[in-house]
Amino acid sequence: MSKEKKHVTVGKIADFPEGKCTIVEIDGREVGIARLKNGEYRAVRNQCPHKGAPVCKGFISGTMVPGAVGELVYARDGEILVCPWHGYEFDLDTGAVIYQESPVKLLMYPVEIRNGEVVVTV
Amino acid sequence: MDLPEQPQNSRNSSSLKVIDCDVHPYVKDGIKSVFPYMPEAWKQRFIRKNAHVSSHARPLKYEHPNGNVNRVDARPPCGGISGSDPHFLVKDLLEKNKIQHAVLNCLQTGSLCSTLAGTDESVVLCSAFNDFLVDQWLTVDNRLKFAMSVPSQDPQASAAEIRRLGKHPQIVAVSLPLLNILMGNRYWWPIYAAAQEMDLPILVHVTGPDSIFYGPPISAGGIPDSYVERYVTLCQAGESSVNSLVFSGVFEKFPRLKVIFVEYGFLWLLPLLWRMDRTWRQLRHEVPWVKKSPVEYVHKHIRFSTQPLDEPREPKDLDKLIELMGYDQLCFSTDYPHWDNDMPGQSLRGLPKAEREKIFWDNAYSTFRMR
Repeated sequence: MSKEKKHVTVGKIADFPEGKCTIVEIDGREVGIARLKNGEYRAVRNQCPHKGAPVCKGFISGTMVPGAVGELVYARDGEILVCPWHGYEFDLDTGAVIYQESPVKLLMYPVEIRNGEVVVTV
Repeated sequence: MDLPEQPQNSRNSSSLKVIDCDVHPYVKDGIKSVFPYMPEAWKQRFIRKNAHVSSHARPLKYEHPNGNVNRVDARPPCGGISGSDPHFLVKDLLEKNKIQHAVLNCLQTGSLCSTLAGTDESVVLCSAFNDFLVDQWLTVDNRLKFAMSVPSQDPQASAAEIRRLGKHPQIVAVSLPLLNILMGNRYWWPIYAAAQEMDLPILVHVTGPDSIFYGPPISAGGIPDSYVERYVTLCQAGESSVNSLVFSGVFEKFPRLKVIFVEYGFLWLLPLLWRMDRTWRQLRHEVPWVKKSPVEYVHKHIRFSTQPLDEPREPKDLDKLIELMGYDQLCFSTDYPHWDNDMPGQSLRGLPKAEREKIFWDNAYSTFRMR
């Protein structure tokens, strides 16, 4: 039997600066709230699916897209979460590891803005 | 990448007892911090040279692609670099992960001794860093053990340092900063003699300048071009050293000597041993002091730390290779606070319980001078 979902207000918009992953606690679980450049929010369980690192203590960045030898193309600025341990790069849209096949992805929760407050559904 | 078999948690939730063979204390402010532990004249020399500035030199191409070899989430709350506060390290590593003993190995000392300092400077700095760590770290918690460093550019001074400090009850090994001289070479023998005399194993670990400068071991075939290239090939010095130790007769000359290779990987060992054994059976007479199969010497005298665990796409492939190697060779290590650390709760979970206990406790307990 699945547990009932609930909506948890984790703070006001101003509490979550753009480009950072701010960690809050919801029912004993650490969740990182990321405000993206486009104004959207993401809520990410603070546990890397690779080896359990506090992934939200990493940094949000863009990345180098796969390309020609010797050339760098930087893209997706502000859309990638980089784990502070082994450096895995996660897509903050899908939770998936980028540019490689992987059996694991970030655990993400629905998040929305209601009356200037950030609300996470867990 | 590991497939999660259960909700992920990096902590050790079982009753498994753990010795962590590879933990890196960082001496905040480097050389400046150890001024009280050296003669005044040497202190004045280092002040005049601004020596503390040059002790971190690393070429641009080998800087970590994410900007830091240390975990940013392991920074002490009071500030400073990860690994620089022994009180926080005890909480963040030992208590969080239920680790009973951590073997400290200071890479600042290692890199100064192998490469960054001149020979005489390295002798003074090595003693000063060792004394600092004994005084400021080992006194914090008895669970902190220490692989004391030696100034490897001077084997006689290294032997003297082992005899000076090696009786300390929390010193459990001698950390030997390798040079580009294979480990079987007689250059090293005074150090092995002293280590054997003190019942301390030799611990070897990449010190930092490896494959960058002339002085420490260099990857086979040439200098790599990036951090990732260099990282992947650092294990090659381990392979060459195992081969050299056995065929040079080190373990005949020093029959109680033990060596632990830390952070060199271990999956290369099996094909290496097959090649060494085959060649010995064919050409034994060239090295008649090698009286047994190389496999026997390695199993008796040499151990390998586990981190960084390789991660085959099928995790059970790793378990199969370890089964082929045998379970008596490996000692668990985290490499805290470095970016590529492995924590006990996430490591080698597919192995049988008894074999896991050997790797996380028994093998290290019988290798280091634990008492």
